Amino acid sequence: MPEVEYTTKMALSRALVWDFVKDMNNWAPMLTGYQQHEIIDDKDSIWTLKGDVGILSRMVRLKAHVTEWVDRDRVAFTLEGLNEKVEGGGLLVMADLVSDAPPPPPPKKRWFGRRFLDWLARKMFRRMHGEGPRRLAAPTAAEGGTQLTFTLRMDAGGPTGPLVNAMLGPALLPAAEDLANKIAAHLEREHLASDAAA
Amino acid sequence: MWFKKAQKWQLEVDVVVIGSGAAGAVAALAAHAGKARVAVLEKTDRFGGTTAVSGGVVWVPCNKHMAEVGIADSFDDALAYVTRLTDGRSDPALVRRYLEIAPQMIDFVEGATPIAFKALGRYPDYHPEFAGGRPGGRSLDPGLFDTNLLGAWKDKLRRSPVFGMTAMSVSEATDWGVFSKPSALPFGLLAKRFKQGLVCYGGALSGGLLKALLDRGIEPMLSTGADELVVEDDRVVGVRARQGDKELLIGARRGVVLASGGFEWNEELCRRFLGGPLTHPNSPPGNEGDGLKMAMSLGADLGNMSEAWWCPSLMVPGEEYDKRPLHRGDFATRSLPHSVIVNRKGQRFVNEAHNYNDLMKAFFAFDPVAYERSNLPAWIVIDQQYLERYALLTYVPGMPVPEWLVRADTLDELAAQIGVDARGLAATIARFNRAAVEGVDPDFRRGESVYDHFYGDPDHKPNPNLGTIEQAPFYAIQIHPGAIGTKGGARTDGDARVLRPDGTAIAGLYAAGNVMAGVTGAGYPGAGATIGAAMTFGYLAGRHAASRSV
Repeated sequence: MPEVEYTTKMALSRALVWDFVKDMNNWAPMLTGYQQHEIIDDKDSIWTLKGDVGILSRMVRLKAHVTEWVDRDRVAFTLEGLNEKVEGGGLLVMADLVSDAPPPPPPKKRWFGRRFLDWLARKMFRRMHGEGPRRLAAPTAAEGGTQLTFTLRMDAGGPTGPLVNAMLGPALLPAAEDLANKIAAHLEREHLASDAAA
Repeated sequence: MWFKKAQKWQLEVDVVVIGSGAAGAVAALAAHAGKARVAVLEKTDRFGGTTAVSGGVVWVPCNKHMAEVGIADSFDDALAYVTRLTDGRSDPALVRRYLEIAPQMIDFVEGATPIAFKALGRYPDYHPEFAGGRPGGRSLDPGLFDTNLLGAWKDKLRRSPVFGMTAMSVSEATDWGVFSKPSALPFGLLAKRFKQGLVCYGGALSGGLLKALLDRGIEPMLSTGADELVVEDDRVVGVRARQGDKELLIGARRGVVLASGGFEWNEELCRRFLGGPLTHPNSPPGNEGDGLKMAMSLGADLGNMSEAWWCPSLMVPGEEYDKRPLHRGDFATRSLPHSVIVNRKGQRFVNEAHNYNDLMKAFFAFDPVAYERSNLPAWIVIDQQYLERYALLTYVPGMPVPEWLVRADTLDELAAQIGVDARGLAATIARFNRAAVEGVDPDFRRGESVYDHFYGDPDHKPNPNLGTIEQAPFYAIQIHPGAIGTKGGARTDGDARVLRPDGTAIAGLYAAGNVMAGVTGAGYPGAGATIGAAMTFGYLAGRHAASRSV
């Protein structure tokens, strides 16, 4: 099952980040290829996304179900394809950036071919979706702030599953990066820019 | 057009080729082989044009690979066959020229590129039972291509939205039963090939041609559209092109080859010229008639303007390619058992399994009394048996039934949902079901030709193309008028030189591919006839242009 993880840092308090992240309505429109979403209840919603697989784009409707909601810590959800045989899920985890905290584990060592494919996927992603949001410089641990980690996994089923997963795999990392960075850029714009103005 | 003297060129070469499909690429290679310095301009940001999204097969009678599959051919047979299919809309001398030169062109391409063609012994001509037709062998498969050979150009090769993810050669697709046994395809292997960067069909052909260009130091100029020809002393000596906001004047000492594709994405030109409403083209959206307009501006004679390489289209709502709706050509749905095509009266009107080019003409049938096209709109109707066995667009058995199919528990309900006469549909299906059981279609002869069988289910008896429609639920999908490309354009001579109405050549101007008046006229002789003719006249254009004195 293709799974990716991306972490970004913001010079914002965890409370502020949580205040935004806790409600899917806030960040669902920041999903790559977002078209619309429909809230069913506290835990369930339906997302309509225009999914790109490098060559063509297709509308995908996904049912998102919140499975875990821990105050100021994490939101976990599952995804189920309504018009495609695909399932997966996501996890947004917040952590304080503190100077005495143990350093995050080093990123997994990836073989050259994998890194090249990710580079290519990012390039194609940017061609289709434009450049990513403008970000402020990431704070250091000494400066404090919040670290936001987004994990995304998708798995296509059915007879064509292996092929679809091969196409989905390279597209997931840029999508995860895109969402995490958009959330961060939005919060930086809302709070840090207004601080600067004040 | 410009008639000024003493242009200040930003770039000056011997031959400028406009367009990067097979016609343009082969023209460039042939010109280079003739010691010309070449520039290839491509309007879009990817290399390959219509060729890259196509099946990539090249139709060449009397090709040397036919012997490898044990099929004999003769020039006279091929000439008789193609001549009949042109329906009198092509210059007989050009037909002869195509058939004479095409085998040479294949030798040249195989010598100049990494492509090693393979004759498709079981891919029949599109009218294989006509005099001179063949049950296979004339269509050549480019096989697979490793895009890693392109280095930094890897992601600049245009990918087909339909074939771009499933790297299987046409031979493999045939052997694996791509139409009749979709669930049995080796998707694990295809995933591995996708990750490895292998491509097939038109991607493989375009990839091989691009590799050859790069090996010769010819880097195609992407995102560079030409919009005017520059003329001096009655000779075409260059082009005015655009790269974003930047204007480029490019000198062409020996000639300009128009290879910019058809005009199927230009609604106005389609309305003005075509014999039927082309609403759902299958090609990349860059084909807007740029070359045609440039040729017209110099007073070029035109031919075959009402014709296209017709192909019915199906759509999955929401799918896009190059930011335009994706229209997928339909080759098999209508040929497999348990499917029919009906008009608004619920009546069949054609052998659904017939070749896509000639099939479309039945869609354009005009009722003079009602003053309307009787067979538009049209629908493919299938039943549950179909969905249990066969693929349909993005659907493969074992997946959820797609939302984009109209679904009903009875034929009456289905008819009501799609606005088709229910009594007519019921009568049609009842009659079709009797034919399916008997294995003979007395109305339209579906399943009679070896061509029909190619797209059918060989395991389905008694006829690989005929199966009852009787098991609920029933489903429908609208089938639209489409085309792989138009094939009307500038008339040319046997060296691909563009002609004026008086028959004289416009010096320095050539045309090949879908921008030229199609050599096959109204007909589509076999798989790859569009690319076969395009490459042949591209080869002639490049060769002739390179030989011109400066």
